[in-house]
Amino acid sequence: MAFLEAHGLTKTYGETNAVDNLTFTVEKGSFVSLLGPSGCGKTTTLQMIAGFEDPTMGKIKLAGRDLSAIPARDRGLGIVFQSYALFMHMTVAENVAFGLEMRNVDKAERKRRVADALELVHLGHLANRYPRAMSGGQRQRVALARALVIEPELLLLDEPLSNLDAKLREEMQLELRRIQREAGVTTLMVTHDQSEALAMSDRVLVMEKGRLQQEDSPFEVYERPRTSFVSTFLGKSNNFEAELKSVTPTASQLLIAGRGLTGPSVNLKPGTVEVAVRPERIEIVDAADAVITGTVRERIFLGAQWMMNVATPLGDMLVIRRNAGRREAEIGDTVHLSWAPEHMRILPLNEVAA
Amino acid sequence: MNQNGRFSQVFNILFCAFMLAPIVVVMGVSLTPEGFLEFPPSGISLRWYQAILDNSDFIEAAWISLKLGIVAATVASVLAVPAALAIGQGKFKGREALQALFLSPLMVPTVVLGIAFLRFLSLFGLNGTFTGLVLCHAIIITPFILRLVLAAVVGLDRTVDRAAESLGASNWTIFRRITLPSILPGVIGGWVLAFITSFDELTVTVFIVNPATTTLPVRMFSHITQTTDPLVASVSALTVIFTIILMVAVDRMYGLDRLLIGEGKK
Repeated sequence: MAFLEAHGLTKTYGETNAVDNLTFTVEKGSFVSLLGPSGCGKTTTLQMIAGFEDPTMGKIKLAGRDLSAIPARDRGLGIVFQSYALFMHMTVAENVAFGLEMRNVDKAERKRRVADALELVHLGHLANRYPRAMSGGQRQRVALARALVIEPELLLLDEPLSNLDAKLREEMQLELRRIQREAGVTTLMVTHDQSEALAMSDRVLVMEKGRLQQEDSPFEVYERPRTSFVSTFLGKSNNFEAELKSVTPTASQLLIAGRGLTGPSVNLKPGTVEVAVRPERIEIVDAADAVITGTVRERIFLGAQWMMNVATPLGDMLVIRRNAGRREAEIGDTVHLSWAPEHMRILPLNEVAA
Repeated sequence: MNQNGRFSQVFNILFCAFMLAPIVVVMGVSLTPEGFLEFPPSGISLRWYQAILDNSDFIEAAWISLKLGIVAATVASVLAVPAALAIGQGKFKGREALQALFLSPLMVPTVVLGIAFLRFLSLFGLNGTFTGLVLCHAIIITPFILRLVLAAVVGLDRTVDRAAESLGASNWTIFRRITLPSILPGVIGGWVLAFITSFDELTVTVFIVNPATTTLPVRMFSHITQTTDPLVASVSALTVIFTIILMVAVDRMYGLDRLLIGEGKK
């Protein structure tokens, strides 16, 4: 059952739609990410759900209630801000207790719940510290405990990991997911980091220019991007133009660089299309099996993988090869590239690129 | 480590000497056993400190100045804190104009202000009253508080307010529990600065006091126009010591650097 629902959500600043007719739902107990580049409207969407911005049009419902008439302070949502927004003049315990005080929870109960919340984020031993004397990761946990202690129906995370260094960020991804699962709280996270969204979410909503591009599980958005934008924003992708000759319910006929190729079926009309192939799905084959032939322009050794940039008639193609302990093609070598038909994603031509 | 060259060291020493010399002279003079101003003093005596205690006019004037400083600085703080929040955080037309208005007492010559206040207070029959003094002093010292509070307000992270709001706090609670404690060092620093300014304000005050509300600086001024005994020196010395104690106390609590320059002592 849909727990959080956004219907035709629109926010207009002057002439531009920061958020344009956004409709989505979030299931109870799930972890959903709003993913997109900066300026795609994801933060504005979060602000509207939190109650800090009024939608120009559209509705937000939480557990069936319309939120539009409810001010931010009465929505009872837990919010973790990018800057953590801790109360610097209060101790960790006081920070966490603040929301309970506002709810007039009595002192004994307050103390117990603060202790529980700090235990959940493994900060029980630092209850009497001031945030000033804590590391970024610890501050983040305080912010999380403060948001969770009020037992919110919905937890909003605004770029929660972006202020942490790379190693800590990976740790916190797992940690955040554990805490979310233990607390069982429905969570909506805003992020521009695709790996973060893929790693943590049950579902990913990809946004661009205020519009929802795709909503799917992390595996599906990565494997079956439905637009050119999604294919390039999530992970690396080689995108090139091709001619879609014909489509049947089981297959499609493509013309790629003058060569006929069978691809998966697609819900598009014949004409010019965009084809996306992930670099790790491209193989180096014998000349006879080649889809395209090119010259290695750059080659980088990454330990577990080789990354190559190959100049082809379709443009530069990125190829990632698992390091199998063998010698690989050198810079300047001619290589023949191929990929299995099912690894092609046939997408509508990206109007921006055209 | 001294990164300054010899020339700038000499300059610094001369500058400090120039700033401190009058205070040293006043302190010295106040210790004289003689009945006239002499420096260096021919001996050490507390005679002129004793003389203050025998002079009820000075004691009374000191009390008035103390009360006036406290009330005026408090009134000015109550005005300046909301003004600083509006100017520092608000997004409305005329913000700059409002700031200029609040800072304008700094730009008008004090003699002009004095004459203006004299006329103004006469209109309301407040001339020479304590209330009148409080009003005028509050106006003169508001800019001092406003500037320090504004510096504190500008450094505030607004998302902290939002965090408090999302946790259910009303605007008043946010101000009382979150905003005010965060800007408190600025408010207290401003209050102390304003208090000191009020405490030794002479130019404006001389226009608007009457014998019943004579402040310490006015009393001292009228004293030296009549006689030149070292009594003013001992009163001045005590005022200086009082101010130093106040400043040291504020420095201990909040750090003067941070208050006056705006740099963090963590």
